[in-house]
Amino acid sequence: MANYYIHVGSITNAMRGKKLLEARGMRSFVHRAPNPPDGDGCGYSLLVTADEREATRILRAGGVRVVRVSEGL
Amino acid sequence: MIYWDNAATTWPKPPHVQAAARQALTVLGGNPGRGGHRISMAAAEKVYECREAVAGFFGLDDPSGVVFMPNCTAALNAVIHGLLDDGGRVVISDLEHNAVWRTVNALPGGRARFDIAAWSENEDETVENFRRAIRPDTRLIVCTHASNVFGVTLPIRRLAALAHQCGLLICVDAAQTAGVLPIDMQADDLDYVCVAAHKGLYAPMGMGVLLCRERERVVARIQGGTGSRSMLAAQPTELPDRLESGTPNLPGICGILGGLRFVKEHGRQTVYAHEMSLLSLVYQRLSNTQGVRLYTKKPQLGACAPVLSVNVDGVAPEEAARLLDAHGVAVRAGLHCAPLAHARFGTLPSGTVRLAPSAYSTAREAEIICKLFAQIAQKTLHTKKNML
Repeated sequence: MANYYIHVGSITNAMRGKKLLEARGMRSFVHRAPNPPDGDGCGYSLLVTADEREATRILRAGGVRVVRVSEGL
Repeated sequence: MIYWDNAATTWPKPPHVQAAARQALTVLGGNPGRGGHRISMAAAEKVYECREAVAGFFGLDDPSGVVFMPNCTAALNAVIHGLLDDGGRVVISDLEHNAVWRTVNALPGGRARFDIAAWSENEDETVENFRRAIRPDTRLIVCTHASNVFGVTLPIRRLAALAHQCGLLICVDAAQTAGVLPIDMQADDLDYVCVAAHKGLYAPMGMGVLLCRERERVVARIQGGTGSRSMLAAQPTELPDRLESGTPNLPGICGILGGLRFVKEHGRQTVYAHEMSLLSLVYQRLSNTQGVRLYTKKPQLGACAPVLSVNVDGVAPEEAARLLDAHGVAVRAGLHCAPLAHARFGTLPSGTVRLAPSAYSTAREAEIICKLFAQIAQKTLHTKKNML
């Protein structure tokens, strides 16, 4: 299964996002964002191995700003 | 030492707080929200745990609205300047601390930018006074929840209803009441609450919190590193990053967690009732002591913060405090950074002696303080008689 980094910006967003995903039974890990978007700069991401589209949907519905999603190693 | 200066900062700090702060210094050494290594992430998790705990304690639904600040004054400055530097007016009460009064005076335009509503023992009158002070360009009501000198409270829920009815925002200075009186941002319909975490929450000094239910409108007056969106020249717009630049005070934040644990373990209401019972005892004794002056009605549970102001006729408050200190009693005298409140109660220019117990205060301490006041009053009466 592929790993995805969901870049969410701040550490607070990442922690909050992790809790939102946990509440929906999805495991995630907070990491520094490996490939932040151009012009945005460093920040934090959620590493998920589950369905990244569903994870992104949950995060956005919970008010967490998703900056970008990228595939990890 | 009998420490009854808990309205300035609570002391001693509970073992929970000491242990939590020690853990921050010895185990969680990394800078939270900056690095990706374990020790930084562990610190960040602790900071978020504290945001959640604080949000839960004050009825705030989103932990992102918990902004850590160096103190309550910084939180009040953030709201007042962040909402009013570009215009508009603010209504404050006549019991405000200098954290509010000096800040509104420092707005561009100074005295022309704020109106003062008088506190009254009658709640209806207080609310009406605020209503009358609102003008077409008023944007904000800032009021203390309880006077830091006299303990009397303002009806914050009713003032919030008034503010919102008039399209205004409301910010409550909860320096003396956070952790002491119930505050529920949702139920009370409050936009901002400013907290001195080192008082009723027993955290280390140097810790305040700004609680934001309204999340968009406070403009950052301090910019800097947030560990996020680093390429942007502009400050991030999201909370808490917008208002929380620079490295946070991790030992202080961990201390808040420890303090919350202490308050919850003992029960906020139980601690408050204990403090109020001590003040009732003191009030009863001192109201029967010749030469001692009290300024408020007997402190009522639920209606006052555990703070009482006292004077001895013919003795300057600072002199009374010095005499108490000589007997090992620590209290604060003078104006308590609240000249407006002293003007309201007629205690300018010298102020009062303020008594403020905590969870650790005892009835025996209350008795000793009452005896010492009686001795000071007695001595003063004798001196006066001898001079006649």
